[in-house]
Amino acid sequence: MSDSATEAGTDRVAEIFAAARDAGRQLLSEVEAKAALGAAGVPVTPTRLAAGAAEAVAIAGELGYPVVLKVVSDTITHKSDIGGVELHLDDAAAVEAAYGRIRAAAEAAAGAEAFGGVSVQPMAAPGAEVIMGMTQDPQFGPVLMFGLGGVLVEVLKDVAFRVVPLEPHDAAEMIREIQAFPVLEGYRGAPPADLAALEAILLALSEFAEAHPEVQELDLNPILARHDGATAVDARIVLTPA
Amino acid sequence: MPISLDRLDRVLNPSAVAVVGDKRASGYMWLNSLKTFEGNLYSVQVDPREVKGIEALGVPNFASLTEIPEPIDYVVCAVPRKIAPIIVRDCIAAGVGGVTLFTSGFAETGEDEGVALQEEIGALAREGDLALIGPNCMGLHNPRLGVRFHRDQPHGQTGDVGFISQSGTHGMHFSLVGATRGVVCSALISFGNGIVLEAADYLDYMAADAGTRIIAMYIEGARDGRRFVRSLRAAAARKPVVIWKGGQTRAGSTAARSHTAALATDQAVWEAIVRQAGALSVESLDEMIDVVHALQRTKPGRGRRVALMAMTGGQSVALADAFARAGWEVPRFAESTYAQLGEFFNVIGGSYQNPLDMAGTIMTDRAALDRLLDLMADDPNVDAVAMEVSATFAAQRWERDPEELAALIRSLQRFRERSDKPFVTALHPSYVEAAALKARDALQEAGLPVFPSFERAANALGKSAALRPSLNPGGAG
Repeated sequence: MSDSATEAGTDRVAEIFAAARDAGRQLLSEVEAKAALGAAGVPVTPTRLAAGAAEAVAIAGELGYPVVLKVVSDTITHKSDIGGVELHLDDAAAVEAAYGRIRAAAEAAAGAEAFGGVSVQPMAAPGAEVIMGMTQDPQFGPVLMFGLGGVLVEVLKDVAFRVVPLEPHDAAEMIREIQAFPVLEGYRGAPPADLAALEAILLALSEFAEAHPEVQELDLNPILARHDGATAVDARIVLTPA
Repeated sequence: MPISLDRLDRVLNPSAVAVVGDKRASGYMWLNSLKTFEGNLYSVQVDPREVKGIEALGVPNFASLTEIPEPIDYVVCAVPRKIAPIIVRDCIAAGVGGVTLFTSGFAETGEDEGVALQEEIGALAREGDLALIGPNCMGLHNPRLGVRFHRDQPHGQTGDVGFISQSGTHGMHFSLVGATRGVVCSALISFGNGIVLEAADYLDYMAADAGTRIIAMYIEGARDGRRFVRSLRAAAARKPVVIWKGGQTRAGSTAARSHTAALATDQAVWEAIVRQAGALSVESLDEMIDVVHALQRTKPGRGRRVALMAMTGGQSVALADAFARAGWEVPRFAESTYAQLGEFFNVIGGSYQNPLDMAGTIMTDRAALDRLLDLMADDPNVDAVAMEVSATFAAQRWERDPEELAALIRSLQRFRERSDKPFVTALHPSYVEAAALKARDALQEAGLPVFPSFERAANALGKSAALRPSLNPGGAG
């Protein structure tokens, strides 16, 4: 990115963080987190907030089918566990029906107050699932993580860390350091993942962490790594206490 | 104002040293350890019951640092903690270069009085530009000048390893155990609580010190983590740095709302820092000494394919397993090597795949070992060579004919001179321990690397060979 684009991105990120702080939140919504990361040059699926079924259908039409709907809620943390995520929605009728199901599921699980609409995003092209994240180490400041993604990441612990700032060779090395690296090189006929794209995301996250010390924790899980690029399809950002 | 590296250099290379508060109850441990000091040694002690014993040691005693009639470069202070601020003031008044505060009972106690005293002496030292080492530490060791804190530490020798330790015990053991393995320090610093000078300062010093080729370090935590990372990166870009991190206890954040924070344990983050800096991580004193020993005595790494030379079939398998587990490949030799081995290798009770099961060949024909080593030196499939030296087989022969061990060593030295491939020996196992120790010392005196087990040889060679060739100091030796 050019300097002026970087500056505009940094301003946009600051606005998003300020809005969350004003609302008394440390945890950003998926829509906010993706907007902030997108402004910082991280490839994310375009994701927008819909307050009603008709708006969801309109956004889906603009983004292009198939789409994904996810519940937006300040209180529900594990969205898929309560039936708050619907994938592979191919047309307006499917979106409208899914909206109703998600709303009912959220209200049943956590009460009417918990439902804050849905996020709408295009279904991303499939790829190997990886995770990237950042946390603030009390001694060493921001630390980046890379690993194979999915629900077992905390069980398998097959992850690599580096302290910010990262050099290009650090990004290259941490990707190759995990046990599961052969999966990314093309395993059982799958095409190899675009490692250069993954390295670029790690370097963008390193800059993001340096520019925004108010980010306490960050997860991109999963990032879908295809043979021609990589895209974060879910994102979580926790800000430091105000 | 930070303490300058020149100031630290003066303290580590002193002409005059004074010990404040040494006592009979400790066996005058400081003055006795410093008996070997090549410059002028003084004592400061006001207790008349102690002065007699000190004078009996032949050390001139004074009532105060300010009364000593020459500038003092280095002071060891062993007084009770309440007296410590007075001695620190005296050091500043007398223009002392630096002081080790052996005294403990400061912030490490967690009690208010200790914390307050630590803050007081820290502020005094910074204000007075005094290089304060510690408190709660053993201070400095310089074998070349005979500066010691234990009476068995080496002296009259010049080493090339700079050791930095947050623990006095680990510093002491590194110097004592290291000496048995030919690992001698250029300088050793035990820095305890590190309130004025901390790990990053000592790393900066060792990185700049011309006499230090290898830096080794025991650390539990850094006060300024980001500065530590900068200093570590800068040091590791110039010299091999080997780090033993103690107390890897902090779990990931249990309150974390992300996978990343939950997985970022103390250990995971430290390992990342060490890798990122290009330093080598070890997990014990023995491993640290092994890796330094390998760095001193092996040539720079070239690749991961190792040729193995053993005395029996069983040891061939054990050696191959140990090296494979440490990440080495045990390749087939080149066809030309097999063709030449076929001309002289005794396959009755032996074999020459890789490993070479060679007892039957080399024990009947002394020149055969040189031929085997020449083949390993020239084989294009081989990046490194490891050989079993069996005290079990040879102890009685070495006893009968010392020339046999000498001839073995000459063959190994000859290989070392003609080959650029890293080479290690392992003495394992040995029920004839006295003979094995003799062989170890003889190999070490000849400059050859020797390890007490296959596993330790494989690990140390693996770690040292992983270092960037430009940093591997064995290449020059």
